[in-house]
Amino acid sequence: MAAVETRECETEGCHSEAKLQCPTCIKLGIQGSYFCSQECFKGSWATHKLLHKKAKEDKTNDEEKNCVEKEVNTDPWPGYRYTGKLRPYYPLTPMRLVPSNIQRPDYADHPLGMSESEQTMKGTSQIKILNAEEIEGMRVVCKLAREVLDIAAMMVKPGVTTEEIDHAVHLACTARNCYPSPLNYYNFPKSCCTSVNEVICHGIPDRRHLQEGDILNIDITVYHNGYHGDLNETFFVGEVDEGAKRLVQTTYECLMQAIDSVKPGIRYRELGNIIQKHAQANGFSVVRSYCGHGIHKLFHTAPNVPHYAKNKAVGVMKPGHVFTIEPMICEGGWQDETWPDGWTAVTRDGKRSAQFEHTLLVTETGCEILTRRLEDNGRAHFLSQM
Amino acid sequence: MEDEDECPELVPIKEKPSGPTAQIPVTIITGYLGAGKTTLLNYILTEQHNKRIAVILNEFGEGSALEKSLAVSQAGELYEEWLELRNGCLCCSVKDNGLKAIENLMEKKGKFDYILLETTGLADPGAVASMFWVDAELGSDVYLDGIVTVIDAKYGLQHLTEEKPEGLINEAARQIALADLTIINKTDLVHETELLKLRDTVRSINALVKILETQKSRVDLSEVLDLHSFDTKDGERLTKKLQLVKTSQPHLDKSMLTITFEVPGSVSEDLLNIFIQELLWEKTFKNKAGLPMTVIRLKGILSLQQKQKKVMLQGVHELYELEETPEFWADQEPRLNRLVFIGRNLDGEILKKEFISAVSNKDSVE
Repeated sequence: MAAVETRECETEGCHSEAKLQCPTCIKLGIQGSYFCSQECFKGSWATHKLLHKKAKEDKTNDEEKNCVEKEVNTDPWPGYRYTGKLRPYYPLTPMRLVPSNIQRPDYADHPLGMSESEQTMKGTSQIKILNAEEIEGMRVVCKLAREVLDIAAMMVKPGVTTEEIDHAVHLACTARNCYPSPLNYYNFPKSCCTSVNEVICHGIPDRRHLQEGDILNIDITVYHNGYHGDLNETFFVGEVDEGAKRLVQTTYECLMQAIDSVKPGIRYRELGNIIQKHAQANGFSVVRSYCGHGIHKLFHTAPNVPHYAKNKAVGVMKPGHVFTIEPMICEGGWQDETWPDGWTAVTRDGKRSAQFEHTLLVTETGCEILTRRLEDNGRAHFLSQM
Repeated sequence: MEDEDECPELVPIKEKPSGPTAQIPVTIITGYLGAGKTTLLNYILTEQHNKRIAVILNEFGEGSALEKSLAVSQAGELYEEWLELRNGCLCCSVKDNGLKAIENLMEKKGKFDYILLETTGLADPGAVASMFWVDAELGSDVYLDGIVTVIDAKYGLQHLTEEKPEGLINEAARQIALADLTIINKTDLVHETELLKLRDTVRSINALVKILETQKSRVDLSEVLDLHSFDTKDGERLTKKLQLVKTSQPHLDKSMLTITFEVPGSVSEDLLNIFIQELLWEKTFKNKAGLPMTVIRLKGILSLQQKQKKVMLQGVHELYELEETPEFWADQEPRLNRLVFIGRNLDGEILKKEFISAVSNKDSVE
């Protein structure tokens, strides 16, 4: 890790180390503005204050523009310092309803969205072995989840808002007699997660229009007949730069290499070694804070599947285990932080992060990718844009 | 009126915490109701020390409360903080909610020098320990330093002999089995013979544990804090300690005891992993009575093939870790593996045989 960062004074011609910064810039949310001393700052004041003026003007302009554009609020948490360029676009549309004839998981009607069934299993590392009937239930729900993701995939293009994608996902779920699992899970407000650029995961669909060059992950989980099925893919919005292509390609390879190793007798802790090795070989880092998980009648349960190397995960794969692998790979550092919404996980350095996920069944000889794509030989969508 | 054209006074750069800085030790304090945990914590809090110590009282890791109170002591002054336990999606995140809450609080209010966690009398300290025994790769702000169990000199023996329904564990015995340090408190209330009996009983359960004896929970803080029970910082001391440990003679709770053995040579890491997993995860080994051996605490110094340094083994319940210590095997030093198991239904002979047969499995590819 880097030692303490040293910063240079921003006054032209001054190269002294900066230990101070402009308080007005902090208030206005201007990044940087470091100076070595009050004298130096005074010397630069004539030009520096123009920055303040511009920021204030921009803000007023934005506010006016926002008023015109359906009152979009891109500053719902004043004072929060974003790690990158992405902003939330509030307000969110109200939580969508699910027709009453569709079977609901236990957290759907809990005031805090807590899952009692998950809570009672919390702390156990016992991994459930699914019987034939339960496996069939998983096959069905995972196929439905795949269909929903494929529908969402068709909507990804510049100008579309993530809320519009969420709406389509919601309708696709209910049309298939599925409850969208994220909805009200610990009060998550939407039916899927949409994670743009520096968002690692759990991005909340909002009013932001997708922009040419964005990368977007859509994470779908659906609940049907008592089972959850979970998958996600990262998509290109229009044409993306080479860096994005390399990141997304590598992330997909990390997932597929990990899947290749899945068979009875392999320890869950091994997956992280495979993923981290491939990510690092390509100059990328692996997110630590979020893991793959067991999934069946519960959305998240044992095993816990870290994607980083040298982890202490408990458990050996056995036929009948069902779990996800969902590596999140970053262009820069792996450190994450969460937006004040309590969900959106972003990279601390504001650089991009990509992710792919499948739900897998361990078989006698290897594994079955329950959420595989049925078209295009099972290849991920982004590959057709490479 | 603030003149907007006036050049403002600069402020120091506020750094966003990035990367690991010094990690904060966490010690878990456990013990039966009335043993003197609270007295011990109050003593630590009010004692003059130069540390900023946070004490998290009561039922940490239990229930679904959204906030938990926390007492902080600094230079003899006490104040209260609140931990906000966010209701995030618990399961796909590796860090426990409580751990995250502590990290968040330290980010906002500055770091503590030390964190003490009190668990309830009946709680399994192993579960709490698992939360804080975090993978190094996670770069957490905290690390697990040790588990301290406070024992009532007068009633401790009674708690340990309490008959439990079939299959249920005696919590008092488990707390001792997991402890890195035990404090026998209220020694002024018992005779030396009683104390001796209690001491022997504690030893019979956990032959590794250090025992302090005290009255009114008054202890030398340097003996309680910074134990480094889970890291390799203390590898050398552990090596020495393990050499002195003997398999214990069961006293009271007949099923809970310490087993130790030594096997010469170097073992394959892969086969060793399989042995540990059979033991901790699959629980396939049985004693002569056919009861499954359950290991609560596991320690060892091992010689692995192709490794020049000694390797430390640490385990709590199902979690375990193999980590290289900084210590090399000396040229003349005979390579050997020394293991200590604390748990129930353990049979040293059978376990040693299983170990030897597991690590000498010729069918397995190296």
